[in-house]
Amino acid sequence: MTERKFDVLLPLDSSEVQRLHRNMKRRANRGRVWTYLGAGLIVLWILVPLFFLTSMAFTTREAVRSYPKSVLPFIPFSTDTVRFFLDQPGVVDGLWNSLIVAIITLLLSTILAAPAGYAIARYIFPGRDLVRLGILAVRAFPIVVLSIPLAVFFLRAGIFDSLYSLAFMHTALTMPTSVLIIASVFASVPHELEEAGQVFGASALQSFWHIVLPLALPGIAASSIFAFVLSWNEVFAAGVLTLENRTLPALLLVQLQQSSDAYQFAGGFFLMAPSIVFMFFIRNYLFNMWSQVTK
Amino acid sequence: MLVAPVLIFLGFFFAYPMYEGLRLSIWDDEAVLPLREGPSLKDSESGRLSQGVTVEVLGRQGNLLTDADATDLLTETWFRVAVTQPDGTTVDGWAPESRIRVREEGPDGTPLSGTVRPKLGEPDDPRTTLRDGPGEGGTEVAFVEPRAPAAIVEVAILEVWFNVRGTDPGESAQGWAPSRFIQVFGDEVTGRIDRGSAGEFTTEFIKKMFNDRFFDPAWRTTLLLLVLIIPAQFALALLMSLVIHARLKFNSWFLYVFTIPMGMSDLAVGTLFFSVFTGNGLLNSVLEGLGIIDSPHVFLSSQTRNWIILAIVVAEIWRSTSIVMVILVSGLQAIPDENLEAAELFGASYWQRVRYVMLPLLRPSVQVALILRTILALQVFAVVIALGGGDTVTVLTNETFRQYADFRNNNVAAAYALFVMVLSLASAFFYLRTVRTDTEIER
Amino acid sequence: MSEIVVERASKSFGSKVAIDDVSLTVDDGEFLVLLGPSGCGKTTLLRAIAGLGMVDSGRITIDGRDVTYVPAGNRKISMVFQSYAIFPHMSVRNNIGFGLRMSKTPKEVIQERVEEAASLLHIEELLDRKPSAMSGGQRQRVAVARALAMKAEVLLMDEPLSNLDALLRLEMRAELKRLLAEVNATTIYVTHDQIEALSMGDRVAVMKEGVLQQVDHPTVVYEDPSNEFVGGFIGNPPMNFIDGVVRQDKGRLAVELAGQKLTVGSALPALRAYGGKPIRLGIRAENMEAVQSPVSDGLKVRVEVVEPLGAQNLLTVTLLSAGSDAQPMKVSTHPTFGVTVGEQLWIRFPSHQIRWIDPQTQEVLSSG
Repeated sequence: MTERKFDVLLPLDSSEVQRLHRNMKRRANRGRVWTYLGAGLIVLWILVPLFFLTSMAFTTREAVRSYPKSVLPFIPFSTDTVRFFLDQPGVVDGLWNSLIVAIITLLLSTILAAPAGYAIARYIFPGRDLVRLGILAVRAFPIVVLSIPLAVFFLRAGIFDSLYSLAFMHTALTMPTSVLIIASVFASVPHELEEAGQVFGASALQSFWHIVLPLALPGIAASSIFAFVLSWNEVFAAGVLTLENRTLPALLLVQLQQSSDAYQFAGGFFLMAPSIVFMFFIRNYLFNMWSQVTK
Repeated sequence: MLVAPVLIFLGFFFAYPMYEGLRLSIWDDEAVLPLREGPSLKDSESGRLSQGVTVEVLGRQGNLLTDADATDLLTETWFRVAVTQPDGTTVDGWAPESRIRVREEGPDGTPLSGTVRPKLGEPDDPRTTLRDGPGEGGTEVAFVEPRAPAAIVEVAILEVWFNVRGTDPGESAQGWAPSRFIQVFGDEVTGRIDRGSAGEFTTEFIKKMFNDRFFDPAWRTTLLLLVLIIPAQFALALLMSLVIHARLKFNSWFLYVFTIPMGMSDLAVGTLFFSVFTGNGLLNSVLEGLGIIDSPHVFLSSQTRNWIILAIVVAEIWRSTSIVMVILVSGLQAIPDENLEAAELFGASYWQRVRYVMLPLLRPSVQVALILRTILALQVFAVVIALGGGDTVTVLTNETFRQYADFRNNNVAAAYALFVMVLSLASAFFYLRTVRTDTEIER
Repeated sequence: MSEIVVERASKSFGSKVAIDDVSLTVDDGEFLVLLGPSGCGKTTLLRAIAGLGMVDSGRITIDGRDVTYVPAGNRKISMVFQSYAIFPHMSVRNNIGFGLRMSKTPKEVIQERVEEAASLLHIEELLDRKPSAMSGGQRQRVAVARALAMKAEVLLMDEPLSNLDALLRLEMRAELKRLLAEVNATTIYVTHDQIEALSMGDRVAVMKEGVLQQVDHPTVVYEDPSNEFVGGFIGNPPMNFIDGVVRQDKGRLAVELAGQKLTVGSALPALRAYGGKPIRLGIRAENMEAVQSPVSDGLKVRVEVVEPLGAQNLLTVTLLSAGSDAQPMKVSTHPTFGVTVGEQLWIRFPSHQIRWIDPQTQEVLSSG
């Protein structure tokens, strides 16, 4: 092996070369610093309002009314506002109603969507692409167009202002998303696993139950949570379809003009809190859905 | 087979309402009143008159009430009576309430007995006719003397039917119709078709919508918001997705925070930004803390329409950029790393790589995101209400709600919804045409 | 002028060491092949030279300029990627001219260079097509054209032929060699295919597990491998290795192999130090002489397998005296050499063809 050295080049372990390399690395990483900065700014943009809302919800009502609001949060910390909110007429019921509707939506949506998702992932049946397209179309459809006739229909059928009917509508809204997510979850479980199970003596159903289902369960759970969040947050249909049995968003919507700041902050907090928690659990599954879509 | 339950459910709760919604906007269920040969639903149709047509009242007759919940009826009460004739015999039959003077009532007001009233103005035959069934159409069974005692056995409520004649531009028609659909004027010989019971295609509602005084501001504001929000949020979403794509340390935490707004209800976001922009809210507190202003600046009031629009834009960008980001990140992840390395090696700076390699390959994702976001943006609702109160600033969805909730006009509400849908479809079509994608992107 | 000097480069991914203290010089205009099995660090080294994955320590200089942590775009180099990395949304013309466009070369120059590169690779008709409609071989040509259009002084190639089918690979190998000889850039070519390496390189650098094993002219690497690994990796069939013990036999050196004694003719001085110690003998299939009648300087073997390969017969033999742990050897004979399975043969081991290997260090004893 020949080794040639230029006279100009300094030995590798000299301090000059080490310094040169350090500078080069620094220069190369400059771009990344800007990226971190940008990321940080965006994080602030998102978190500051949330933080503010939370601190307002957990402070005294005087602090809520006061001006200018102090920069320091949670001072004084108190559950006064929250308790005030919960004492308002209809609020606890609203929370309860929202919960019930969301749970029903979660169950219905998942139970109905799971078989369909499985079918789309595993079988090629006539009209499969049409079904997928139709499901996408549903997702993009104006909820506005649906709510009014449903209200009329429910009125005539006598089930207007019922939590069940609202849950049905929410299920109709969330089902496409559930089907798509569950389909992609099942698609990611290799078919060979099911077949292997059957080779080893399990029936198709046993194979599904013991092998595929446990693997798909996290994804299915994610889609259920997504349905829950969608239902919990939904405001337009809830406002149209409920009267006495309002869900929390519907209640807040109706009360918006005449309610005090404290009421609104606490209400906003209750609307926001479950969503933030749930988004933490399902953030990974968001991408599955869209990778399927942009095919 | 497995898909069936989903399809059935969706068909029921989605396809049907969709169809109904569209139908409501262009079909007036009460446009036309069918007239019948006789005062009964069993009689055949003799003609039709449109709502609003003036009519002559030619006759009236009671008919058994078919629909207990109907409103605006004219009713007649008929009694089935057992009358003791002067000669001692008892005859049984029906007579209108006006022919019996009730003398005895039960504890709950039910008439129990009375006497036959004399027929005034007919000295020759003051007797009252009894019929075999309630209503003038029944056959005569007996004639009873005035002042004969009558026991009231049964009560029947009849709806009055009118025999009317009117002229619908072009055609004249005559026939019987229930009184609930006809408004009779004081002179009792003229009247007007109040509403119909059969539907016909109409553009009335759509016209009403266009002429609604809220329509103009609503659609203008909706489009203004679209134009302000979408370009800004796509730029922001691109930056956010580039940050995620750069795979910094704590990348998954950045991702989580970036997607938090996705999980929040639009009403919550509206409330959130209300708390920021309101008189003693966050923004004013910060501005005053920094010394930029001396007293709270009013952002949200009926005089500050432009500030409200700005607040809505900020709130909507905050809320809905995440979903665009998710779509773009998926698109970015599909670009092979070696393509970007090659671009770098051949001399492209970071922004050159973004412009010449990433953006072109992101076109399909951008198209999907544009379509989805525009459709969703046309339906913006809760944020507008929370920040603008729905009057100073109004959008199409808000008008739909207002027509439904305040004006109780389902048809015009449906017309607004139809308009939103048409705009959505038009925009989707537009994007599919203009944002051209390569039909094949090689792996 | 555009000499590449790698000094003591090291890089690890977590706990896995990818390249370990590698030093290498590529002369100006030289065509150096980086050869080794997958995972040996050759691609890591190439990428470090390219600037796509910086080293943890060490120095890389191109043309006398320290580029150790300089971003890839500033190194004035060109590269052909293993997956070609052709931009799917651009026409072939724009792909080839990409680098020139990024450096803001005037339009006429770009056009001229693009057409020149396209004609070198015989893809002029494809210039206005999109990559999605092209075969793998065509895309590969576009990748090479793109690299050549830059007229860079340094050209890096990361297994450019490995995604082609066997026949195409053969064709392209010859074409590339001819083409690159004309281009005269300093070229580093990574491959795991030792035939490619031997056929194309001015020098071959063999790597194993992040460590450089030997850098030499192809014939030297083939005939005088520096260690057992190189000997076994290069050549098809690989070099034979048989274990034995060095013995003194009446003043002359001999090696005892499975009980048979092989006298060593012009013995290596270094071998004397192994008297009584185990030694490993390495020899290539085509350097052994197979004889059907007994010879005194041959070892007796039994034929296990006969593979008629057309241009040669490849015999798998074992020393007759060896037991169940017999080490099989491959012997190459003329195709007309008639032999059957189970037959006994005598194999001559010409001394100058034997490579002696220390079983512990696995180094080949040098003749110097």
